[in-house]
Amino acid sequence: MKKKFTALPIFLVLALCAQLGPMAESFASPIKLPKRIISLSPSATEDLFAIGAGPQVIAVDDYSNFPKNTPKTNLSGFNPNFEAIVKFRPDLVIIQSSASKSDAIVSQLKRLKIPVYVEHTPETVAQAYSEINDLGMLTGKISGAKNVIDKMKKQITTILTSGKINSQNKLFHELDNTLYSATSKTFVGKVYTDFGLTNIADAAATADDGGYPQLQNEYIIKSNPDYIFLTDGESLESVKSRPGWAGISAVVNQKVVILPEDIPSRWGPRIVDFYIAVAKALKK
Amino acid sequence: MKLSHKKKEHNDFPTVWRWEITVISALCLLFSALLAVSFGPIHLSFTSIVKTLLGIENSISTQDRTVLLYVRVPRVLLAALVGSALATSGAVYQSVFRNPLADPYLLGAAAGAGLGATIAFTSSTHNLTGILPIFAFAGATIAVLASFFISGRFFADPSSLVLSGIAVGSFATAIQTYLQQRHTAILRPVYSWILGELTAATWSIVAWSTFYISISFLVLRTISKRLDALMLSDEEAFSLGVNPRKLRIIAVVSATLLTATAVAASGLIGFVGIVVPHLVRGITHSSTNRALPSIALVGASFLVIADLGARTLVSPAELPIGVITAFVGAPFFLYVLRRKRMGHNSD
Repeated sequence: MKKKFTALPIFLVLALCAQLGPMAESFASPIKLPKRIISLSPSATEDLFAIGAGPQVIAVDDYSNFPKNTPKTNLSGFNPNFEAIVKFRPDLVIIQSSASKSDAIVSQLKRLKIPVYVEHTPETVAQAYSEINDLGMLTGKISGAKNVIDKMKKQITTILTSGKINSQNKLFHELDNTLYSATSKTFVGKVYTDFGLTNIADAAATADDGGYPQLQNEYIIKSNPDYIFLTDGESLESVKSRPGWAGISAVVNQKVVILPEDIPSRWGPRIVDFYIAVAKALKK
Repeated sequence: MKLSHKKKEHNDFPTVWRWEITVISALCLLFSALLAVSFGPIHLSFTSIVKTLLGIENSISTQDRTVLLYVRVPRVLLAALVGSALATSGAVYQSVFRNPLADPYLLGAAAGAGLGATIAFTSSTHNLTGILPIFAFAGATIAVLASFFISGRFFADPSSLVLSGIAVGSFATAIQTYLQQRHTAILRPVYSWILGELTAATWSIVAWSTFYISISFLVLRTISKRLDALMLSDEEAFSLGVNPRKLRIIAVVSATLLTATAVAASGLIGFVGIVVPHLVRGITHSSTNRALPSIALVGASFLVIADLGARTLVSPAELPIGVITAFVGAPFFLYVLRRKRMGHNSD
């Protein structure tokens, strides 16, 4: 939930701060709206364009591939280069807290009095909403952000009311073919929980605090999941050809779902697409 | 002074093959393999396991049978193969380079394989099962060959080969790091591969690794009698009727084939190549050539047990096997070293 924002502390807009509510302490907002934004997070890029702040964005990182018309550069969001960022003369930089040496970059930008928004990887959809809200306030697109959030909430509620299923159904979410998975603790995992599915990776939750354990082949066969969600370029055929997998319920009933790339790892407005993909798979 | 010490040691070595030790290590491997096959998330009774393995009809369900024969057994076999390959190649490298710290990855094989695997991950995210071992194998072999050609003086001085191996290794690691930075999406798979894994074990991997490992073993078997002469200076070796230069090349090539196969099959698994040869030599007080079969067998048991740990300690999740080999291997190794030293002091 905690978002760090460092801005020009001299220009505080009290009215804006009042709206920020409990988060106001850690917040400050520039009086001039930013017109040269650099987004080093693919999710934040999607947020900015969705709320209507797209024209204010001058550069995005090399993984920001959505929407199509983003000003994509070779800036790295994972391993940001301070000088390369400064060269763009930005007036707002969005950086992921997981980026390497993000703290150092943030303090260097502070020294140049360039406002920075540090994005912490959200663990829930609510946290994703609050990021959209933050970005709305920072860019002056408060109503745009509100519209996006309301629309997302409405769409997700609609999907869930019609798409919720029997909680006895088990799922396996495959991150790669060495069988890394995501537990219900993760952002992705919570989406499945919303549908009432049981995640077989939860049994291994103690093995990985981050929520991404590597499961044993034999355990997956034993758990006999009803749905398999793939994000790694595998397919029903390749999964079926693995020894012992042909008898798994999801494979037998052809409920092996290839999720669109990127979507399960972005927490922007396209979360809705993820819900749609899961709902579609459950209805099959 | 140094010379006479070595000669004395050489004369101390038992001159006959210690068959008891080989038999004991073989039994040890059989026991570890049975133990490893008996445990897993799916509970199978020991009698039905043994019956299924022997091909006797029993009440085991089709699914359990598939799991046993196509998931568990190949994994245990692959662990045994990789363990024996790494332990043997470590032992051979230690003789060839007259260096007790030599390990199978010394000549840049690890870095080369790592680079090969990284290139495979970057070039395609789809269905790597087929191409990953080929890339890793090619990477390891090319790196070792490069070390050979760069160190022109290898025939005269093995230490120049070690140095060029280090240089080639650093070079390959640099490219690998660069590629990883350019393609952050592959960080997790590469990292997981570097820590070593037997999760992808299938019969086809078992088949081709058996093929290459058998070839190396056959070659090493024929030269094993002369291998210990490499521990002496080249002049002494010549006087014993051994051509150390030719022998060294044959030994390094077969050991590299072992390493490359192991790496291609299971990623980088550390510590086996150092711990096991010293352990076996420490226990048997025998020289490398006499101990090679035992070293291979103990290496196999060691990795089978380590993999059992990797599968069961955090079940139903997995631990990277490299973590287990180092965690268990390092203290055990220190214990053997200390005991050996104390033994020498009391002589």
